[in-house]
Amino acid sequence: MTKSLPPKSIVLYADDDLDDHELLKDIFIQYNSVIDLITFNNGTQLLDYIEALAPLQPKPCLIILDVNMPGINGKQTLKKLRGMELFADLPIVLFSTSTLPSEVAFAAAYGAGFITKPLYTKQFHQIANQLIDHCAAGDKAKIRKHRRN
Amino acid sequence: MTKKAIGLLEFDELLEEHQYDILHLDGVFIGKRKIANQTVVLFQLYSFYVEVYYTQYRKKIHHIVTSGNTDILQLYIDQVNVKGLNKPGATQ
Repeated sequence: MTKSLPPKSIVLYADDDLDDHELLKDIFIQYNSVIDLITFNNGTQLLDYIEALAPLQPKPCLIILDVNMPGINGKQTLKKLRGMELFADLPIVLFSTSTLPSEVAFAAAYGAGFITKPLYTKQFHQIANQLIDHCAAGDKAKIRKHRRN
Repeated sequence: MTKKAIGLLEFDELLEEHQYDILHLDGVFIGKRKIANQTVVLFQLYSFYVEVYYTQYRKKIHHIVTSGNTDILQLYIDQVNVKGLNKPGATQ
């Protein structure tokens, strides 16, 4: 009998703060076996990666964008992604250090979620849940199932 | 956002966890700096400022420092985004 593992869900994360790359790796650490977290230092790198995806390659289940990045910031990256036909419906979250109403409204206007970065460890579990809630439906079910097991 | 803005003295009286919850909900990030092994993050909260001293960034908070004085901004002047900052004491 052949047993095969299902492919991992792909989450893309762009942030210029390398400390926050580590933060997100820690937040997703319990999902290592079902989520592949791919990090980028800015929006341009993430857009380059997305544009280079072959048609049959699996699409990411979630894109997480820091709001304040040099060059193309998170909001500009979100606008560009929504302008791409293939990614117009892809789940995207703006991930920021502050809950500014203008940024929350901007995210909503472009069909994205908004999550504030955690202040300390106690909020990790809640933030992980919020991020997974935004994942594409099929991936979300798979990730949740992994947590129950 | 929480239901109402509170003042510096009222904030100082709160339990630590309640302070962190309010800061997470309503704090506006201003800047980040490093001192030896600690990372320090400055937030504007309503009409005052809160510095969070981490022993582990975004994981373990060592202590916080509150201030109603804009001099605290001097330490982060290279990172201050004036556009997104409210003037302390102004109606929000």
